[in-house]
Amino acid sequence: MAEAPPCKERPCRDEEEEEEEEEPASPAVGLSLCGSAPLVWHAADVRAVRALGLVGALVGSLPRQPRQNGRLGRPLLLGREEERLLAESHQAAHLTPAQQGGGEEAHRQQVEQYEEAQRRSYEEQSVLALQDRKGALLRAMSGQDRGEAPPDGTSDEALSGRLRALDQSFSFPRSALAVQLSTARAGLACCPETRRFLRASRPIRSQDDGPRAEARYRVFRDLRGRGFYLTSAGKFGGDFLVYPGDPLRFHAHFIAVCVSLDEAVSLLDVLAVARLGSNVKKTVLLCSPAAGASDDQPDVVYTSLQWSGMV
Amino acid sequence: MAADMADQNKTAAEANVYSEVLSPSELFAARSRSHKIPVRGQKDFFPNESEQQRQRLEQSLTEHWSLISEERVERLGNLVRGLWIPSDQTVELQSPAGKFWQTMGFSANGKQCLLPEEALYLMECGNLQVFHDDLPLSIQDGYERFLSSQTVTLQQYQVFGHLKRLGYVVNRFDPSSVQSAYERQLNLPPSRDRAGRQLKRKRTPSPGPSPASTSSKAEAREESASGRMEEDKLSLEGEEEADKADCPVDPPARPEASQAQMDTTDSAGGGPVRKWWTGDVPPEPGHEPDPLPTAASPRWDFCSISFPDLGSRESRHSSLASPDSSLLPGDLSVGVCDIAPWLGKLNLRKVHMSAREKDREHDRRRRQWDVNKDKQVRRCRNWAEYRELQARRRQRDRPPHLWESEVTPLHDPKQPISTKELQDKISVIKSSRLQDDASRLKSSDEWRICFNVYQPDTVADFKKSNPGKPYSRMCVCSFDGPVPDLHAVKLLASQSGDVPVVCAVVDHGDISFYTFKDFQLPTDVYD
Repeated sequence: MAEAPPCKERPCRDEEEEEEEEEPASPAVGLSLCGSAPLVWHAADVRAVRALGLVGALVGSLPRQPRQNGRLGRPLLLGREEERLLAESHQAAHLTPAQQGGGEEAHRQQVEQYEEAQRRSYEEQSVLALQDRKGALLRAMSGQDRGEAPPDGTSDEALSGRLRALDQSFSFPRSALAVQLSTARAGLACCPETRRFLRASRPIRSQDDGPRAEARYRVFRDLRGRGFYLTSAGKFGGDFLVYPGDPLRFHAHFIAVCVSLDEAVSLLDVLAVARLGSNVKKTVLLCSPAAGASDDQPDVVYTSLQWSGMV
Repeated sequence: MAADMADQNKTAAEANVYSEVLSPSELFAARSRSHKIPVRGQKDFFPNESEQQRQRLEQSLTEHWSLISEERVERLGNLVRGLWIPSDQTVELQSPAGKFWQTMGFSANGKQCLLPEEALYLMECGNLQVFHDDLPLSIQDGYERFLSSQTVTLQQYQVFGHLKRLGYVVNRFDPSSVQSAYERQLNLPPSRDRAGRQLKRKRTPSPGPSPASTSSKAEAREESASGRMEEDKLSLEGEEEADKADCPVDPPARPEASQAQMDTTDSAGGGPVRKWWTGDVPPEPGHEPDPLPTAASPRWDFCSISFPDLGSRESRHSSLASPDSSLLPGDLSVGVCDIAPWLGKLNLRKVHMSAREKDREHDRRRRQWDVNKDKQVRRCRNWAEYRELQARRRQRDRPPHLWESEVTPLHDPKQPISTKELQDKISVIKSSRLQDDASRLKSSDEWRICFNVYQPDTVADFKKSNPGKPYSRMCVCSFDGPVPDLHAVKLLASQSGDVPVVCAVVDHGDISFYTFKDFQLPTDVYD
């Protein structure tokens, strides 16, 4: 991180070089806005975000076990800095909200398609259910055979009789039909062509925030550029938690607190945050974006605080 | 997943990694999938580029992605079907509601409905399928259509979902449902007219001990006059009779006492009148009830209404005069009330004091200032001389440079005073309680309570029509926003009444809960 012009068009080259090598034509990550919050819905997009070294926060219930908070599921909520980094490196695009376009006719077609798909699903599932039942019957009968070892002929006859009876009597109850409750909306946004188009047009939401948000973003960009993974650190009284590797496998090492270089900080505040950091076995990093960053000056100045015991 | 379903999809456009629509065979297979969440192993401290670490990371990520990409698959028979009504911002149920109906939803025009946040939560739990224009809504559709600043924002929904997943019962907060401190003190039934949404059934009047029962005004009129009088008298005891506190008045909480009284009065309702004072809302311990009514509530001018004083020994009447007819409902007349049998039950036994208590009492008396013990005062023959004496003393004791100017000492050291009184006198800045004067604060748009929260162990007996007192109330805010100042804290506390307010602070995906508590410094004073 030598050169760091504070201009907006800085494309965060470390990112692009690193990731583009693996996936040269990776399509843009699709973001959908819920209110003002950028959410990532498609599993492939969530993976792509992580591959770029951004963590985000899962905020939905986990389909496998919805009534717990330990592991959450899609959607992935991106932080302001994460969204901005993606946007500035042209790796994300906002997907348009659900459009009711297409008119009556298109809608009627969609409904027909949906109903047709449901019918087909019912038919296929009832065939599968029948096969399933037959398989179970066969297994049960062969198990019996082994135990009693009766003459072959009678066993086969009995079996085929049972199977015929099953064929005739079997009906798949509609209530047993397995249906999908889709997480992400299916639609145009799924097509690779659309994705490529989105990448080309790359609409970026302008983020007009104060100097504080700007400072946070510069710190975020710099730390990410150095290969760290970052999450929010409100619970630790800081701006970011800094992980040396993927948070799935590693503990955070630092609590990053963004303070501007010319800002007076109360000694008590410094003590409080340092004490808190030592209590959770993390080092506090005071991160200050440099005023006029040039080639021989770092973009962000870091000061680490650690509680030291005198013996 | 995407690769092996490709052949079954019709169009080429669908055959890509972004399609998450499951094929019928995948749906069928999903019925027997595991419901276990893989455990996360011990984390490493530092990445050391070793093969072992790389493998473990890969395994963790694989498990993570398979968990994240999993789609909800439910049996049609287990799904409740709902219809999104954008104009009402509600979801109307089209098949019978499930177990969730005990704690969620409401009925309107004979239809079962869910609020958008409830519907979205149930969609996420795989209990509800919501349709709009004959097509099912995805979870994403739910987030984008149901959540808005008019209903519930994403941040508020994050808190709602977090608490619901923990098992709490969470309802929207309706400010008009909270009684003022004064109303609580009087045990007034909350008026239903103010409540936003009517619940399905009109509750039949029940003698249940809950103050939050939905008794209407008509019901209240049925209460016997004696019951009402008792209620007024008892609840005002703290204020009106505080100065006569040395009269031992037994509250008629003993069953035989109240029974005896009921026999002597013509109770119009005839029902169990006792519910007014069985007291499941005890006055807050430690301090007198807040006499400040909110702007809306004064209905009676208590300065002009005289209250029967049954405990006083000076005015011993055997009967109570009938109350002013203007205070009674139109169709009710109350005659003179004979209280003799009840007075007979009063505990008039003398208080027995231990030797130590007597000592203390004696000590207290001794310290009390008695002007007649002063010899010079006794020598005065008339008021004029006494005043003269006082003036002389003032001249002598109080140097004019201290006492004649605008600023005077807080206390004249010649005047005897108890330590407690002195402490009160020198504490120029008085301590105040969180709720003091809060009713006069202007409400703000920035700070408001969003949810009532009831504890998970109450779910079994929970009644939507009569939810009772919440465990706490939630105010949703964010680390990006300001910390609530005293004005905001007081405002929230007054909006919530006697239920604690908790701030749910949403930080991106994390939610932390903070609360502000009223605290009185203990005073440890020997008299």
